[in-house]
Amino acid sequence: MTRISTSMMYERGASQLSTLQSNLLKTQLQLSTMRRVLTPADDPVASARALEVTQSLELNTQYATNRQTAASSLTQVDTTLQTIGDLLTDVKDTVLKAGNPGLSIADRETLAVDLEARMADLLGQANTADGTGGYLFSGYKTNTLPFVQTSTGANYQGDQGQRELQVGSGRKMAISASGSQIFENNITGNGTFLTKPQVPDPADPTDLPNVGTGIISPGSVSDATKLTGHNYTVTFAKDATTGKMQYSVTDDSDGSEKIPLTDYKAGEPIAFDGITFDIKGEPADTDKFTVEPSKNQSIFETVQNVINALRTAGTGPTAGAKLTNAMNEANQNVQNASDNVLSVLASVGARGKELDYLDDSGSEMNIQYKSQISDLVELDEIEAATRFSQQLSSLQAAQQTFKSATSLSLFNYL
Amino acid sequence: MSNLLSIGKTGLMAAQTGIATTGHNITNATVPGYSRQGIVQSTTPPIQQGVGYIGTGTEVAQIKRYYDNFLNTQLLNAQANQGSVDAYLGQISQIDNMLSDSTIGLSPALQDFFKGVQTANSTPSLQAARESMLSSSQTLTGRFHEVSGRLTELQNGVNSSISSTVNTINAYSTQIADLNTKIAAATADPLNPPNDLLDQRDQLIRELNQQVKVTVLPGDNNMLNVSIGSGQPLVVGVSSMELASTTSPTDPNRTVVAYQTPGRQSVLPDDTFSGGALGGLIAFRNETLDRVQNQVGQIAAGLADAFNDQHRLGQDLNGELGGDFFAPIKAYVGYDTRNSPLSTAKVEGIVTDASKLTTADYNVTFDGTNYNFERADGVAVTPSSVAPNTPTEIDGVTYNFTGDGQDGDRFQVRPTYQAAADITVAITDYKKIALAAPVSTSVPSSNKGNGTISAGVVDPSYVDTPLTAPVTIAFHQTDPADKNTRTIDGFPAGTTVTIKQPNGTENTYVDGDTIPYTEGATISFNGVSFVLAGAPKDGDTFTIGPNTSGVGDSRNGVLLAGLQTKNILNGGSATFQGGYASTVNYVGNKTREMQVGSASATTAVNQARASQQSVSGVNLDEEAADLLRYQQAYQAAGKVMQIAGQLFDTLLQIGN
Repeated sequence: MTRISTSMMYERGASQLSTLQSNLLKTQLQLSTMRRVLTPADDPVASARALEVTQSLELNTQYATNRQTAASSLTQVDTTLQTIGDLLTDVKDTVLKAGNPGLSIADRETLAVDLEARMADLLGQANTADGTGGYLFSGYKTNTLPFVQTSTGANYQGDQGQRELQVGSGRKMAISASGSQIFENNITGNGTFLTKPQVPDPADPTDLPNVGTGIISPGSVSDATKLTGHNYTVTFAKDATTGKMQYSVTDDSDGSEKIPLTDYKAGEPIAFDGITFDIKGEPADTDKFTVEPSKNQSIFETVQNVINALRTAGTGPTAGAKLTNAMNEANQNVQNASDNVLSVLASVGARGKELDYLDDSGSEMNIQYKSQISDLVELDEIEAATRFSQQLSSLQAAQQTFKSATSLSLFNYL
Repeated sequence: MSNLLSIGKTGLMAAQTGIATTGHNITNATVPGYSRQGIVQSTTPPIQQGVGYIGTGTEVAQIKRYYDNFLNTQLLNAQANQGSVDAYLGQISQIDNMLSDSTIGLSPALQDFFKGVQTANSTPSLQAARESMLSSSQTLTGRFHEVSGRLTELQNGVNSSISSTVNTINAYSTQIADLNTKIAAATADPLNPPNDLLDQRDQLIRELNQQVKVTVLPGDNNMLNVSIGSGQPLVVGVSSMELASTTSPTDPNRTVVAYQTPGRQSVLPDDTFSGGALGGLIAFRNETLDRVQNQVGQIAAGLADAFNDQHRLGQDLNGELGGDFFAPIKAYVGYDTRNSPLSTAKVEGIVTDASKLTTADYNVTFDGTNYNFERADGVAVTPSSVAPNTPTEIDGVTYNFTGDGQDGDRFQVRPTYQAAADITVAITDYKKIALAAPVSTSVPSSNKGNGTISAGVVDPSYVDTPLTAPVTIAFHQTDPADKNTRTIDGFPAGTTVTIKQPNGTENTYVDGDTIPYTEGATISFNGVSFVLAGAPKDGDTFTIGPNTSGVGDSRNGVLLAGLQTKNILNGGSATFQGGYASTVNYVGNKTREMQVGSASATTAVNQARASQQSVSGVNLDEEAADLLRYQQAYQAAGKVMQIAGQLFDTLLQIGN
C-alpha cells in the first residue's frame, strides 16, 4: 500500500519495540535460571520426557538407599554368624576333650558347665537384636524372641519368612536368614544316615540299654543306588552252642533280614543296601545298634544332648562306651552344624557382593539419567549468551530508528 | 459583477469548509476508530448567458468519509480471532506456569509418596517409619488439593470473566442500538450521513467484536443489525437483546451464557460463541481446563483405587486384613435443575477399576426404564444402559441408581472431575497400614526330603475366605522309584484346588479328588497361591497359615511400592507419572499452539489494520499539505472578492 497513517507509524514501531523487549526478557530469564525450558510450552515433548526421567532418577536413588539398609543388615548377620561359627568350634573342642576316657566325673562336670555357658552364648547370638527394636533371626515375626531354652534344647518361636528389600528394579533381596535355617536345619550323622546305640523304648520294661562296650563307627555310603532310607537294627546274640558273639541286621520297615546271624569280628565292615560301617569293642548279648536316615536336628538339642550325656555318664567300661558313642554322634552333628553356618555365611557374602555390583551399576545409571535431563531441559549457555547480545543490539537499533522516523513532520517546517 | 462576488464567496466558503474538515481530521487523528473526512467539491450549475454557460462557482457536494467496508470487515475478523486466542492464551499460560513450578507440581509429591512406602518397607515394624509413610501420603493428597484448588480458582476466574464480558456486551449492544436510532434520525440525505456518529458506531462494533465475534448486516435507514454465532441477533434496528450469565443447569459452579427474555432465560449452547474474548474463554474452559481437571483427577482416582486394591490384600500390625488406604473416590453427579420436580432419582458412582477410567464426561438420560449413558465426546460406551437399583460398572466406575426417576430426567456425570479435590487418606493409625502379606509358609525340620515352599501370595478372592488356622499339606509317594505316584492332600474340606503347571495348563480338583504333585507347579486354593519345589520324601508336610505376629514382613509393602512403575492407567498403558507427563505435554502443546496463534493473529490484525488505515487513517503531513492548500485557496478566493470589490468601485467612480 502506498499510504501510511500517522497512527500506524507509531503503533507499528511501538509494537515492534515491545516484541523485541519481551524476547530479550525471555533470554535473560533463561540465562538466570540456566534452563532452556522455562515452562512446558517452551518444549512440550522435552518437558514430558524430563518428568519421566526424573522419576527413574529418583527410583534409582531410592534403590541405593535400600541397598545401604540391606548391606548394613547383611553385615550384622555376617558378624553374628562368624561369632556363632567360633562358638561351634569351641563346642567341638569340648566334645573332643569329653571323648577322653581318662576323665573323672569332676572333669566331665567341668566340661558340662563349660558347654552350658557355650549354650547360653549360642542362645544369645541366636536372639541378636536387629538395631531397630526387633530380632534379626525371627523371620517375619521380628518382635518375637526367636529361641526360648527348654530342657531338651530350645524352641523356635519365629517363622521361616525371608524379609526382602527392593534393591534394584526387579530385584528383591533377602536381608537376613531365619533362625530355623541357621540353627535347626543341621543334618545328623554322616549326611545320609546316623549310627548309634539303640535308644531303649521307655514303654517296654524289658528293653534295656546296651551293657557291652561296642563302639559303632559313623559309617559311609558305598553305593548310593542301593540306599533305601529305611531304619535298620543290628542285634547281638551270643550263640548258645559256640559261645561266640553273633550279630544280625534287620530292616525295620518290613522285618526282613538283611544280614543273617554272622560271627562278630571287631572292626570288620558290616555292609548292606549300599551302607557300610563297623563296630569295635565287645558288645554284649542282646545289645542293639540302630541305623536311621539322617534328619534335621537343632544345634541346641545337639549341645543339650552332649551336656546330658556328660552328666549321666557313670564310671566303668559300659558307661565309657556309651559316652564314646554319644560323643561320636555329637561330633558329627556339631560338624554338620558348623558346615550349615558356613553355607549361610557364603550366601550372605554372595548377596553382599551382588549389592556391590548393583551399587556400581546404580551410580552409572545416575550419571546417565542426570545427563539425559540436562540435555532435555538445560540451557546451552554459549548459544543463549550470543542470542542475548544479538537481541540487545537489535533492540537498541529499533529504539534509535523509531525516534528518528517519528520526529519527521511537515509541521516542523510550517 | 455580483456574479464575481458570489463566485468568490463560494470559493471562500468551500475553502473554509475544507480548512474546518482538515482541522477536524488533525484534531481527531488519535481518536480510535476515526475515519478521515474530506470535502468533495463540485461546480455549481452554470448560468446560460447567451454566449455560453458561465460557471457560478463551487460548492461542497459532500463531506466524504474515507471508509472501506470490506477492509473494515477484514479487520473485524482478524480482531475477533485475536481476541479469542489472546484470552485463551492468557488463561492457559496460568496452567502452563503452574505446571512448571516444581514446588506445586504433582511429580515430586508422587515420588515422595512412594519413597515413604519404601522407607516403611525397610523397617515395617517401626512406628516412626510407618508414621513417615502416613505423613508423606498426607502431603500427596495435600498437593492434589492444591493443584485442584488452583484449577478451581481458574474456573472461578473464567466464570467471573464470562459475567463481566456479558455485561460489557450488553452495554455495547445498548449503545449500538442507541446510535442506530440517532443515525436513522439524522440521515436525511443518504449521501451525507452523520460521519462521526457512523465512526462511533463502528468503533463500538469493533469493541463488541473483540468480546464476541459478530456478524454485521445492514438494515434499513442506515441502521446496522448485529448478530452473534450462527445468527442469534444481538441488535436489531433500534432494539437490543440482552444476554445474561447464569449458572449451568447441571453444575452450580459453572457460569454459562443465556438469552434474557422477559420471564425466562434460555441457555445458549457453548458453540454459539466462537471468536472474541468470550469465545476464547469458553473454548479454554471446555477444551483445556475441564480436560486438565479430569486428567489430574484420573491420576488421583487411579492411584486411590489401585493402592486400595493392593492394600486390602495385606495385613496390618494388628494382624487384620488391610482396609481402604484412601477413601473411595466418588464420581461427580450433576442433577439437571430442569428435571421434573417429581423425580427422586439418586445416583451414586464409585471408582472401582483404575485401568478403565477415562477422562471424559457423560450425559445420562432416563427413558422410563433404563438410564442411558452417552459420552460427551461421542465415543461409544459399553454397557450403555443401566437398570435402576442394579450396580453396574461402566468405564471403571460402578453406578447405582436408586429412587424414582421420571422419563426425561437428565444428569451429567463427571467421574474424575472432583477426584483430585476429594482424595483423602482414610488411615490415621500407623498400625493399620497393611505392609505384611496375610499368609506365611513353613517347612517343618522333621521333613526328610528337601522340598521347599514359596512364601505364599494372595489374590482378591482371599478376602472372602481368609485362613484362620494353618493348613498342612502332606506329600505322598507310594513308590519311591515312580514319580507318577506322587500326590498331595490336606486341603480344607470343601475347597477347590487349582494346579497351574509351569507349561501353563490348569487343572482343578474338588473334595475327594486325588491331586498329583508336579514340581514347580503353582497351587491355589481359597485365594492363596504357592509353589512347591525340590524333592520331598513320602510323609513330608508343608504348612500355610495366617501370618501371625509377622510384623517384620513387608511383602505387601513391596507390592504397594511397585505400583509406582506399574502400567495401570488407560487400560494398562501408562504409569501415574506417565499420565501426569502426558497432561503436561498436552498443556505445553496447547500453550505453544496459542502462542503461535497469538503471534500470527497479531500479524493478521496488523496487516488488516494497515490496509484499513491506508484508506481511513489520518496522515498529519497530508493534512498539513491540505491546510496549506485550503489556506491558499481561501486567500485566492478572497483576492477574487477583493478584485470584484475593486471592479465595483471602478463602476461607482464612473459617476463622479
